[in-house]
Amino acid sequence: MEDHVQTFPRPQAERLYVERQPVAATCPECGGSDVRAYRVLSEGGWWQVEKCQDCLASLRRTPAPALGSYVPLGTTVPRETGR
Amino acid sequence: MFGVDVGGTFTDVVAIRDGRVEVTKVPSSRVDPAGSVVEGARRLGVAGSPVFNHASTMGLNAVLERRLPKIGFLATEGFRDILDRGTIHRPLDAQTDPAWRRTFGDVSRPLVPRYLRRGIRERKTARGETLFPLDEAQARHELEILGRTGVQGIAICLINAYVDPEHELRLAELVHEVLPGVEVSISSATSPLAKEYERASTTVIDVIMKLLFSDYAKQLDSELGALGFDGQLNFADCAANLLPWEEALERPFRILFAGPAAGTVSSGHLGRVIGRQHLLCADVGGTSTDVSIIVDGKPFVQNTFEIEHDLIINALSTEVSSVGAGGGSLVTVGTSGGLLVGPGSAGAEPGPACYGRGGTQPTVTDAVLLMGVLDPNGFAGGEFQLDASASEAAFLALDTPVPYDERIRTTYRLAVAHMAEEILNVAVRHGVDIRDFSLMAYGAAGGMLLPAALDLLPLKEVIVPPNPGLFSAIGLLSTDQVYYESESAYVVFGADTAEGIAAVYDRMEARLRERLGPVATGLPVRRSFDGRLVGQGWEIPFVQLPDGPVTAESLSAVIAAFHDAYEARNGNRFDAFPVEGVTYRVEIVVPAEKVDYALAAETEPFAATPEGTLTLSHVAAEPVQAEWYSRERLTTGATVVGPAVIREQLSTTYIPPGQQAVVGRVGEIVITQRKEGAK
Repeated sequence: MEDHVQTFPRPQAERLYVERQPVAATCPECGGSDVRAYRVLSEGGWWQVEKCQDCLASLRRTPAPALGSYVPLGTTVPRETGR
Repeated sequence: MFGVDVGGTFTDVVAIRDGRVEVTKVPSSRVDPAGSVVEGARRLGVAGSPVFNHASTMGLNAVLERRLPKIGFLATEGFRDILDRGTIHRPLDAQTDPAWRRTFGDVSRPLVPRYLRRGIRERKTARGETLFPLDEAQARHELEILGRTGVQGIAICLINAYVDPEHELRLAELVHEVLPGVEVSISSATSPLAKEYERASTTVIDVIMKLLFSDYAKQLDSELGALGFDGQLNFADCAANLLPWEEALERPFRILFAGPAAGTVSSGHLGRVIGRQHLLCADVGGTSTDVSIIVDGKPFVQNTFEIEHDLIINALSTEVSSVGAGGGSLVTVGTSGGLLVGPGSAGAEPGPACYGRGGTQPTVTDAVLLMGVLDPNGFAGGEFQLDASASEAAFLALDTPVPYDERIRTTYRLAVAHMAEEILNVAVRHGVDIRDFSLMAYGAAGGMLLPAALDLLPLKEVIVPPNPGLFSAIGLLSTDQVYYESESAYVVFGADTAEGIAAVYDRMEARLRERLGPVATGLPVRRSFDGRLVGQGWEIPFVQLPDGPVTAESLSAVIAAFHDAYEARNGNRFDAFPVEGVTYRVEIVVPAEKVDYALAAETEPFAATPEGTLTLSHVAAEPVQAEWYSRERLTTGATVVGPAVIREQLSTTYIPPGQQAVVGRVGEIVITQRKEGAK
């Protein structure tokens, strides 16, 4: 019975993780060279970041829509922000 | 005696010699802040002065503008985001705004960016037991990373470290080993109180202030010494209490901000001399009016200071409320065409239109100039020539249907109304009857605007002190050195806990006396605690302990003192509920040399002799003739009937129609409503 309701196979990986893509850059804060690009969920939503893996300083940080190319209509309505 | 108030724009230096006040203003310098102070001291001749009392907004401005040194923050693993979280309070106007963010949160302007906040594997329980030992290898690794980023200071705040500081002390040692030369503040030494967010933010501010003030204070001490100063250099704290500079630098978060508190202290000191115990204090500046309250001769002191919304430090501070109305408040036109005054301000640059420095928008000062109250040739000691035609042009340019004459009258009245509203708010918040209170009006524009508040509020009187424009700086010469210690422990008061409570007080007193040495000999220790009814989440601060040792027998008096304080603050009491102590304080007050107000002999009131007559416009439907007086020539008992203007070098007092002023025994101007039928 359970096999019928399970739409997807059980994941083989021990845990979910985001691929961290290497970026050719040097961290301006600590001088580390292991900089990677990935998404993080932080205050204000999802962010596409490039972070130094040694000191975790963000070299770049841009908002990343949580739903990919789909943009909910409500988010396009201008509103007062910035406080 | 020297008092110096370092502001963002100007450094005010006040010297008092033989009761005579001398003052100089030096532009503040961001590059060399100590240089401005030393220059002021040199101008007035600091050699031989017994004290040099210093207050500065340098630290506060650095925090508000985030011009901060790079520091790291170490917290128990899993707690590094407590600095972002705050106390979770949202301001009222942001309750339903999903876009609202804390000003100090990581996405806005954090004091410490997230990558410099590091979790350390360790854990102490609330009873001080070790749940997880300190992982020194991991701590060293984190410190090495912080070292590579070039941090100049480290703040350490571990969970429950206020109960047992063992791990914090070891971490501080590791910092010295791994990062020699880097400043460290640990929460258990900085502010060993419960509530980890406030403890963390206080520790962060402390290490920032160490970095900002260490070299500054040493430079100041040595350069003043080179000018022949061999007295005591004191720094004022957030309640305008004085601390010797070396003591202040041990926990410098306390000296973050001392400006407004100094005005309150000054009011209290003058109030004691002239016999006024209940005071509302209003400091009218260029941008805002700061209002505070003194009941029974004591300012209302809080156990925390809020730098900006929810950014709190555990510093004892005088409660000061501000409203955006002052001499430089801008006059604008609202959406319905009516006039608005403030909260925007012309500031010092360009300043009001009449300054002629490029300001085109009218301000409150422009309105008072056009009324004829201000002397265009004698403003700020003759330093400025005021241009009335520029004020007139600015008011004429307003796009409003309000007639020109009414624009000026309304500006003056609105400014006074804003200030009166804030004064009333403070009185209501403290549950006092405003009819029992005198209003101390100071700041350069205090005497010009606040007497009119008597027409709006049933105050007993308005008092304009001598040298109102320098009154806050004089406050630095009106206060004592106060040393204190505090500790936290959640203890329900009862016969079985009396011994433990007594031990806390004894420990703190011994520590305080050891710190002070012979200075404290013979001086009494004041003991107080912050307590609450069991189950409450907030405390009643500063419940005074009765004299004598804390024992099982005397604890009932302590509990009664709490219920009395609770009733005084909240209007009801719950004697049946047990009381829980949270924070315990001891305090030693070392008297310091103060400004001496010489009391003149009492004199029967007599009519003062005017210097001349002037015409006041826009006060009533028709121009009004009024007399003007020189304050320097008014002696005790001199009586002035409004409408009248009293001028002095740096300030102007305007007595509106229907009021009268009598000069008191130290030169203060006491303004009251004239009784009907009086001549």
